Amino acid sequence: MTEVSIERLTKTFGSARAVDGISIRIADGEFISLLGPSGCGKTTTLKMIAGFEEASEGAIRFDGKDVVNVPAEKRDIGMVFQNYALFPHMTVDQNLAFGLEMRKIAKPEILNRIAKVLDMVQLGGYSDRYPNQLSGGQQQRVALARALVIEPKILLLDEPLANLDAKLREEMRVFIRDLQRRVGITTVYVTHDQAEAMTMSDRVVVMFGGRIAQIGAPSDIYERPENLEVAQFVGQVNLVKGTVTGAAGPGKSRVASVFGEVAVDSRTDHAPGIAVTLSLRPEAIELKPAGRGRAQGKVTARYYSGSIIDYRIALDSGETLHVQTFPNTRIAEGDRVSVHAPADGFWLLGAAK
Amino acid sequence: MKRPVLTLYCLLVYAFLLAPILVVVGASFNAGNFLTFPPQGLSLRWYVTFFHNDVFMRAIRTSLWVAAVATVISGTIGTMAALYYVQHAGRWKEAVRIAMLAPLLLPEVLTAIALLFFVYAIGIGTTTMIGMIAGHVLITLPFVFINVSASLESFDPSWDMAARSLGAGRLARFRRIMLPLIKPGVIGGALFAFIISFDTFTISFMLKGIGTSTLPIQLFDYLRTNFTPEAAAVSTVSILLTLVGVIVSEKVLGLRIHRF
Ligand SMILES: Nc1ncnc2c1ncn2[C@@H]1O[C@H](COP(=O)(O)OP(=O)(O)OP(=O)(O)O)[C@@H](O)[C@H]1O
Ligand SMILES: [Mg+2]
Repeated sequence: MTEVSIERLTKTFGSARAVDGISIRIADGEFISLLGPSGCGKTTTLKMIAGFEEASEGAIRFDGKDVVNVPAEKRDIGMVFQNYALFPHMTVDQNLAFGLEMRKIAKPEILNRIAKVLDMVQLGGYSDRYPNQLSGGQQQRVALARALVIEPKILLLDEPLANLDAKLREEMRVFIRDLQRRVGITTVYVTHDQAEAMTMSDRVVVMFGGRIAQIGAPSDIYERPENLEVAQFVGQVNLVKGTVTGAAGPGKSRVASVFGEVAVDSRTDHAPGIAVTLSLRPEAIELKPAGRGRAQGKVTARYYSGSIIDYRIALDSGETLHVQTFPNTRIAEGDRVSVHAPADGFWLLGAAK
Repeated sequence: MKRPVLTLYCLLVYAFLLAPILVVVGASFNAGNFLTFPPQGLSLRWYVTFFHNDVFMRAIRTSLWVAAVATVISGTIGTMAALYYVQHAGRWKEAVRIAMLAPLLLPEVLTAIALLFFVYAIGIGTTTMIGMIAGHVLITLPFVFINVSASLESFDPSWDMAARSLGAGRLARFRRIMLPLIKPGVIGGALFAFIISFDTFTISFMLKGIGTSTLPIQLFDYLRTNFTPEAAAVSTVSILLTLVGVIVSEKVLGLRIHRF
């Protein structure tokens, strides 16, 4: 199997740097997601790995071998496209056979492998259908099967679920993830959907403007974001102003804020007296009837959405908070509340701007 | 019929388009000696005359041969030009399109005269059929180009990328993916080219050279001195040939655009 190493990879279009010196080491069998807003260079990065775009600078190594000068058709990659790109004039079987025929594999072996892969994507019995006779989800699975049947070194997927409806999308997340685990193939997955990246990946690469903002496990990205941009991109976040009052052990600072003085995790140490910004995730906050606790406020809005309730709280100290609670919370719009935030709900983002 | 006015209008348009053809076909079965409609008695005698007329037979063979050669050349060049136009022309796209469509925009007689000067200037002259075939290629090229580039515009580039990722080289991608998917456009264009070449008068008239003749020219020649139903029989046969061409391509080669 294959380890991929990307080193200072750059792509320029004219004077614009679509991808700007990114480096990633992808372990054998790892599932990596490239996550970022539209136009941040995810597709361009994937196309360079696939060989559809020439790298302007930098190296791409498969198992240590530089493939920058290897054309796409010789790179031995499996690719799944957002619009599936199934060949419309071929049946499912013919689509799946195509890559194997290009590899000059014998007919019986081809049939054998097709049967196996169709079974794997649960599409046995669909052999003779044309792509336009399949649902979106089925086409998606054929595209996946077509990429996998050639037993490529690497699987690349560019927003493969973007055209599916919400429910199917969630099913396919799990399906693709399970399949990838079973096959054990090194996978690079492009998406701008943070929930998708979180649930599927071993590690997530967050990109902005052609650069990597952070690489880490989903929990790392979510709980210990490198900066404000990352924190805001991977979920809702409250920003709380505070002042450092001292150190509190390794990687922890004591910070005074409207919620009192708490020991907050941080990536770097900050000298006492410095003004900092803390992040506080909406689901870490607890609301109680008014009267107890330091931070007091008033509910200005309440949005019920089944699995959670979203609150907007105006604190007496002037800040606005976004809070998510379980749906059984009996607090209504207009109620006065006291707001509790446990120390481990905070994360020190950095010095205040 | 919910819309009598519209229906009537459509019927009139069809009548206007088809009536002359029906008249010609009807007149070809004439038993009399003159090209009249309705025919005076029914007979196939003018077809017999036509099939025994060496001059017409030679002309029809020339026409078919020239049309076939022109179609193959025009189909190949036109398809290649369309490929360049859609995939590589970049900022020259508009210029390429106008150049390719130029023969359609210029009066055919101008093209013909210019080409006549040209073939003599470069010493080819009109002793061979090269000049005439070049002319036919020239005027049929735009039809191939338009048809093929239309079908290429709907060719999704990700099909090509998918084929590459599956290990297909340039040739395999063209043969197995692109060609089958743009086939309706290529066949449609070739069919147009064939019919236009078979039918054209001006270009052939200027460039045919002495001793050869195509069917439209021969027919014109014939009608200058004769007015028999044989002319109608000739026309009917060429209409039939065209019709057979369309139907055969449709059935055999699969002109149906919406197969997928
Ligand atoms: N062929 C090209 N020529 C010029 N600029 C390009 C080209 N391809 C991409 N770009 C630019 O490079 C940047 C990155 O594009 P890319 O397609 O990689 O973004 P993306 O992260 O995949 O976005 P999305 O989520 O919208 O798909 C964009 O600003 C885009 O406009
Ligand atoms: Mg993209």
